[in-house]
Amino acid sequence: MEILYLAVVILALLALVFGAILGFAAIRFKVDGDPIVDQIDNLLPQTQCGQCGHPGCRPYAEAIANGEAINRCPPGGESTIKNLADLLDLEVIPLDAEHGSEAIRTIAYIREDECIGCTKCIQACPVDAILGAAKQMHTVIVDECTGCDLCVEPCPVDCIDMLPVQVTPASWHWQQPKQLIASSSSPHEHGATEDE
Amino acid sequence: MNKTWDFHGGVHPQQNKAQSNQLPIVAMPPPPQLIVPLNQHIGKVARAIVKVGDYVLKGQLIASAQGFVSTNIHAPSSGHVSALEEHVLPHQSALYGPCIIINTDGKDQWVELNPTHNPKALSKPELLNIIQAAGIAGMGGAGFPSAVKLQPKDSIHTLIINAAECEPYITSDDRLMREYGDEIIKGIQLLQQLLEQPKCLIGIEDNKPEAIAELSEAAAQHADIEVCVIPTKYPSGGEKQLIEVLTGRQVPHGGIPANIGILCHNVGTVKAIFDAVVLGQPLIKRITTVTGKTALNAGNYEVLLGTPVADVLAFAKVDLAQTSRLVMGGPMMGFTIQDTQIPIVKSSNCLLAAADLELAPVADHHACIRCGQCEVVCPAELLPQQLFWFAKAEEFEKAQDHNLSDCIECGACAWVCPSKIPLVQYYRYAKGRVKTQNHEAQLAEHARLRFETREQRLVDEKLAKEEKRKARATAAAAVQAAKRAANPTAEDPIAAALARVNKQKQERQTNSTEKSPEQEYKALKTAAAITRTKLNKTRQALVSAQAQDHEQTVSLQATVIELTTKAEVAQAELQAYEVKLGHDPELEKSLQISVAKANAGLRKLQKSLATAEDPQQVEADIVKATTAHEAAIRALEHQQANPTEKTIPAQES
Repeated sequence: MEILYLAVVILALLALVFGAILGFAAIRFKVDGDPIVDQIDNLLPQTQCGQCGHPGCRPYAEAIANGEAINRCPPGGESTIKNLADLLDLEVIPLDAEHGSEAIRTIAYIREDECIGCTKCIQACPVDAILGAAKQMHTVIVDECTGCDLCVEPCPVDCIDMLPVQVTPASWHWQQPKQLIASSSSPHEHGATEDE
Repeated sequence: MNKTWDFHGGVHPQQNKAQSNQLPIVAMPPPPQLIVPLNQHIGKVARAIVKVGDYVLKGQLIASAQGFVSTNIHAPSSGHVSALEEHVLPHQSALYGPCIIINTDGKDQWVELNPTHNPKALSKPELLNIIQAAGIAGMGGAGFPSAVKLQPKDSIHTLIINAAECEPYITSDDRLMREYGDEIIKGIQLLQQLLEQPKCLIGIEDNKPEAIAELSEAAAQHADIEVCVIPTKYPSGGEKQLIEVLTGRQVPHGGIPANIGILCHNVGTVKAIFDAVVLGQPLIKRITTVTGKTALNAGNYEVLLGTPVADVLAFAKVDLAQTSRLVMGGPMMGFTIQDTQIPIVKSSNCLLAAADLELAPVADHHACIRCGQCEVVCPAELLPQQLFWFAKAEEFEKAQDHNLSDCIECGACAWVCPSKIPLVQYYRYAKGRVKTQNHEAQLAEHARLRFETREQRLVDEKLAKEEKRKARATAAAAVQAAKRAANPTAEDPIAAALARVNKQKQERQTNSTEKSPEQEYKALKTAAAITRTKLNKTRQALVSAQAQDHEQTVSLQATVIELTTKAEVAQAELQAYEVKLGHDPELEKSLQISVAKANAGLRKLQKSLATAEDPQQVEADIVKATTAHEAAIRALEHQQANPTEKTIPAQES
């Protein structure tokens, strides 16, 4: 009988000790926030364009973490979908056409002669990339522009153009070499491999 | 003799150097037009400081360096600036970039130069300033600003001069060493002076015996300068490979030679440094090899920077009609050029005009047979085959894990590939994509920061506004309080007004409650009466209208129905109110009856008085009856005035 009591006491003590360790670890190594949201957010292009239907990239990252489809980001395009699918262990799905199509990267340009200085585009810009003041000409800080399109709509005189980003010798890079001849693969082989 | 080591891999392509290294260097006269790109180096584009129409002298500064990693650019010859415009660049992309176009006047007149007669007296900063001002960038091919390279963070124990010139066809460094041995040694001494006297090793491949002899002779009196002859093997002239061959040490992954105390400079750069310091001449010319089967006067030419390739080819009598492929650089690492209007720049060491079949044709390639030859020859000890698969499948992360960034793009793997796969192009593609992805990631991070900052700012602005509003409210309250404190007898006008309003409200309420029983009863009675009268009138009108068969009959009927309802409602309200008040019609009636009885009794008594036997008795009875009558009337009146009270009917006497 004594042995039984002893066993119970020892087990109770062990339970207490491990409970204390677990409790301490839970506080000491507490993870703030939802790290998966940060990881998703890091994969999004941060254009803050709202084409996914959310007011910015982080809200969309939160929505994805809660189970929303990963194919609603046109600026990110296929590569973002692929990265998200890798991260979340999901199927790679084509871009949802409802939210727009993948286009080449553009940058906003203000036709400065026509600008009336209404500041509406400045208020619309999610990254403060437009410089100007009331009744003064505005201009886009090209290096800061994410090409989100949000400034085009509010402009009362339609003086904002979205122009494709120019390829410079610094940004240029080699293309993938053309097709093999003695291979059974299709001309779009690299695309096919991507989908595997 | 310094011991030499070996590096992994490497190939032995046909040398093809004899075509161009036989004749002395020929200085080419200034071409009619010079096209000087503002970016001939790695780093930021220089900024033009001349205007269209300006007259510039040879060696005059025409574009200044922007930022730390950038170089100055000088006019290669005298003449007028005819344009500042975008022009095709000598770059693989064949894209346009900003250039200064100078129409030369043929005088080739120097700007006033500042030669240094006793360079040993120069301090380190002075030396560095001269090199920086002269716009010297690495002339081996990469074009890294030399002044930046000469300010290493680590201390340098070995200076390596790259004179290997391992790429086939190219002989510009070979000829330079044969003809300017002394100048090169003096240039090396300047670098040693600048870098705390490190030991200097000059690495030359053993296929250049004349150059070795010339340099050995020039370096004979200098114990700390050693000419090291290395076996000919491509790519021994790669910076990291040469360091390994000469010192047996490897530059760490992701690091630079300075990390292991070694600095490496091209022999052409050393000559340019000598020219800049001792002669005071900025970098405005270089030696370019023109070679290939279709170059009739193959050889080395001293060419002004900015000279269009077309002029150089014409000067060397290149038969463009017979040329199947024109390459800038060597056959291993050069790139094919289409437009001969591109200019010679600081890093253009060779123009190769190849006839048919002289170079391996750019043919379609076959599938990888996994022979592993590429791995055997890779000087960077990478796995080229794996990198190829990853680049092809666009698995750039895996390619990076396999040290894609350590690839020096020497082309040895592609040279041995039996399937003729353009491996280097795959690696360049993968590198480009990685670079673009990293750049995009940086942009995204930057955009996120700006977005978050903006959101925070908007929130802060809102809070600040709220705070301000609160502050204003408290300030106003304080002013009010101060006023009250200054004049305590004065009523607070708002409080007074509120009190007045409240008082009026209360009065109205009390009045309405006091009046209600009588007034409302009256009002209801009146309303009921009015409706009844109206109803009667309308009924009459209806009757007459029906008699005359008037057209208003229908509307009158409707009115009658409406009024009937209204009258009923009014009556019902009145009755309900009467019930509520406790009004008892029975009680009133009984009171009226008692009054009438009393009255009748009184009259009877008055009549009987005349015939009465006992008039006194009758008179007394009359008084009694009168009192009873009056009491009955009072009771009735009281009941009518106060319907709620239950007046007890006067007892009949």
